[in-house]
Amino acid sequence: MTVRRSDTGTVILDGVCAVEDAEPLLQMLQATPAAVVDWTQCRQLHTAVLQIIMASGVDPIEPCGDTWVRQWLASKLPLKQVG
Amino acid sequence: MSALEEQFVTEARELILQATDNLIALERDGGPERVDSVFRAFHTLKGSAGVVELPAMSIMLHAAEDLLDSVRHGTHGAGAEIVDAALACLDQVSRWVDNFEAAGALPSRAGEDGRAMAERLRSLLPGRTGEQSVLPAPDRLKEGGRGALPEWVSHLIAAERDAMTSRMPDGPMLATAISYEPLAGCFYNGDDPLQLMQQLPDLLAFHIEPREPFVPLADIDPYTCNLRLRAISAANRDEIASIFRLVPDQIQIFGVPPEALPAAAKHITPSELSLVQKVIEAQCELLRVPGRTDGLAGCVGAAARVAENALRHGRHLHLADTVGRAGALALAQHDAGPLLSALEATLAAFASFPSTMVPDGDGRPNTTATSERPTDRVLRVSEAKIEALVNLTGELVVARNALSYSIRQFDKDLGREVARSIQRDRDAIDRLVTELHSTVLQLRMVPVAQLFGSFPRLVRDVARQLHKKVELVTHGETAEVDKTIMDRLFEPMVHLVRNAVDHGVEDPEQRRAAGKSEAATISIAASRSGDRLLVEVTDDGRGIDPAVVRRTASEKLILSPEELTALTDEEVVDLVFAAGFSTASSVSDISGRGIGMDVVRTAIEQIGGRVSLESKVGIGTTVRLDLPTTIAMSRIMVVEAGGQSFGIAMDSVSETVRVKPDRVSTIKNNDGFVFRDRVVPIISLAELMNLPGHKRDAAQSRLLVVMETAGRSAAFEIDAIRDRLDVVLKPMQGLLAGARGYAGTTLLGNGQVLLVLDVKEILP
Repeated sequence: MTVRRSDTGTVILDGVCAVEDAEPLLQMLQATPAAVVDWTQCRQLHTAVLQIIMASGVDPIEPCGDTWVRQWLASKLPLKQVG
Repeated sequence: MSALEEQFVTEARELILQATDNLIALERDGGPERVDSVFRAFHTLKGSAGVVELPAMSIMLHAAEDLLDSVRHGTHGAGAEIVDAALACLDQVSRWVDNFEAAGALPSRAGEDGRAMAERLRSLLPGRTGEQSVLPAPDRLKEGGRGALPEWVSHLIAAERDAMTSRMPDGPMLATAISYEPLAGCFYNGDDPLQLMQQLPDLLAFHIEPREPFVPLADIDPYTCNLRLRAISAANRDEIASIFRLVPDQIQIFGVPPEALPAAAKHITPSELSLVQKVIEAQCELLRVPGRTDGLAGCVGAAARVAENALRHGRHLHLADTVGRAGALALAQHDAGPLLSALEATLAAFASFPSTMVPDGDGRPNTTATSERPTDRVLRVSEAKIEALVNLTGELVVARNALSYSIRQFDKDLGREVARSIQRDRDAIDRLVTELHSTVLQLRMVPVAQLFGSFPRLVRDVARQLHKKVELVTHGETAEVDKTIMDRLFEPMVHLVRNAVDHGVEDPEQRRAAGKSEAATISIAASRSGDRLLVEVTDDGRGIDPAVVRRTASEKLILSPEELTALTDEEVVDLVFAAGFSTASSVSDISGRGIGMDVVRTAIEQIGGRVSLESKVGIGTTVRLDLPTTIAMSRIMVVEAGGQSFGIAMDSVSETVRVKPDRVSTIKNNDGFVFRDRVVPIISLAELMNLPGHKRDAAQSRLLVVMETAGRSAAFEIDAIRDRLDVVLKPMQGLLAGARGYAGTTLLGNGQVLLVLDVKEILP
């Protein structure tokens, strides 16, 4: 699974996170909004998955495994200040 | 290209033609059914553009459709402005269809061009305001224009100032800002907006934000995209447009002027540019040294490093990356080729830079350059295949001729019986070959409607430009002609039609004064007559005045005054075909361009046709083209002179006669005879070809082939007539390609190569 929960309850994004990972991620975050998200193993992040992370306001464990995301926007999360 | 795409290309062309015709008819008579059919054509075009996923084309056609819809519902009439815009839109579609056929894609600027055209079309919609537009509102800003830079760009630059400065050591020259608002349903289309952003070269700044504030997590739909992505890149506009070519409706691109960027912009001076260029040229030379195997790796590695560094120094970062990658590839393949071609492409890119170039480009060749190749319209089989079939069938005809020859030999040497039985077989083959040949030739036949289709538009545009009123009538569009002939007929026809509008048709005032209707009529009519195609271009204009032609001809020294007086009025009018003749006193930009009627005549004669002209002052002019319907086959007569055989094309032979010596009179050194009330000079073909002529018995009658070409007649004296044949004429090749006086060669039944004379050329 590219999106899974560890024994300690951390939500882990692993490998290539595609568009269909958005829904399970959303369900996990809906269940435990305060969960820690670990994206250090995520090699590639789909926009839909990023959108869930942005919308939930979580601050994932750095550094992001997707180098482009790490370079261009990881430092700007969490984004959820308004709304 | 997939079958679907091929079908799109063919269908689009038909729809463009149909829409063009109807638009012009709409402007003329404004019938509601015309609006409907124009609307339908645009609608279908838009639909097909969607199917083959050409969003730029869809956007533009959508705007055109809206405009036509308002015409359809009577919101406003189909004025010339609207017709102009719709025609311009069709022109754009037509160019894109050509691009699409040639390159499988639209040019990288298509998105922007399409939107510009959509803007133009929408601007004609009175009472339509922004909120009804399908385009996002900011799009109506002057895109890319200075001073039109949206606020977010400066905000982003301010927020990222430090990071941006570190990413561009000395500051880039010009940057591009992109705002990308993916459709809400874009995930369902398989789009990954982030992925697209990652393709942006030379990224300087990036920002992503929700379009609407995010709703609480409990209510969120994970598959609805609610994001806006913005970026600033040092890449150029075209490159960015090509990355986003599939979503042109969702992006906006702005040029960011140097002064808006954090670091001071510094132009690369031409001397620096040329230094970089020289360094690269030197590497190319090094790599071009042939036969190097030892130390190739070192050489390639060094050249790649030097070129890359030079490019980085010149801040052609993207080009440097490309060269770096090509270098690695070259090393991996143990072949300098990839690096060399990357460097050459870089040099080519430099060559296309203006002297005070802003180095923002990459080295990739421009994909918009498409070759001007002729396009198939109705033939869905490739022309090359048909050509091969035609050639093969032609060979078959030659083989059949060979058989006839063998039979004659047989007849002489062996028994009649055998010969007769072979003869029967030959007749059967003969019938089949003839049938096959004509069927194959039919494959190349296309209706002239395709040719005529472009004239309504031409007549309309030229007439509008000259403030004349002209109605075009066409007849006989179903008449068929060989595709090659039709292609070669296009230019002369365009010239004739333009001429008719420009010189033939009078101004509306003059027409009124002459008691004619204000709108002139130009008719183009085609008809088949046996194996000839007749095309007539007729206008009801002022006609050609023989007196004016006489004056011009004598002024331009085309004929001497004596010669002129000897000519009848009809013959005088024919002088407009003489080289260097142009009746218009000034060269207009419509018919001018240095092309005269002589060019029309030459072009028509090259395809085996004839041009004639008939004109009555005050009533009008008719130009008549008499054309062959095929050029693949020629009928020739085989004659013998001076012990050699020659072919003469039958269409220049008017008669063969035997004349008694007493009918021949000698004028000076030349023989001639009176034939149908005209003096026809007699030329000995053997003498003309520098062959030994045989001694003639003074009392013997002489065998003459009377020929008529380009208005002159002459008779060749020959020894014998051998045969009449249908042959496939092969042009002179190799060393003989430049030989004058020959139309081509063909193979005879006995394997002999027959030279076919170009009568027009050799007549003294």
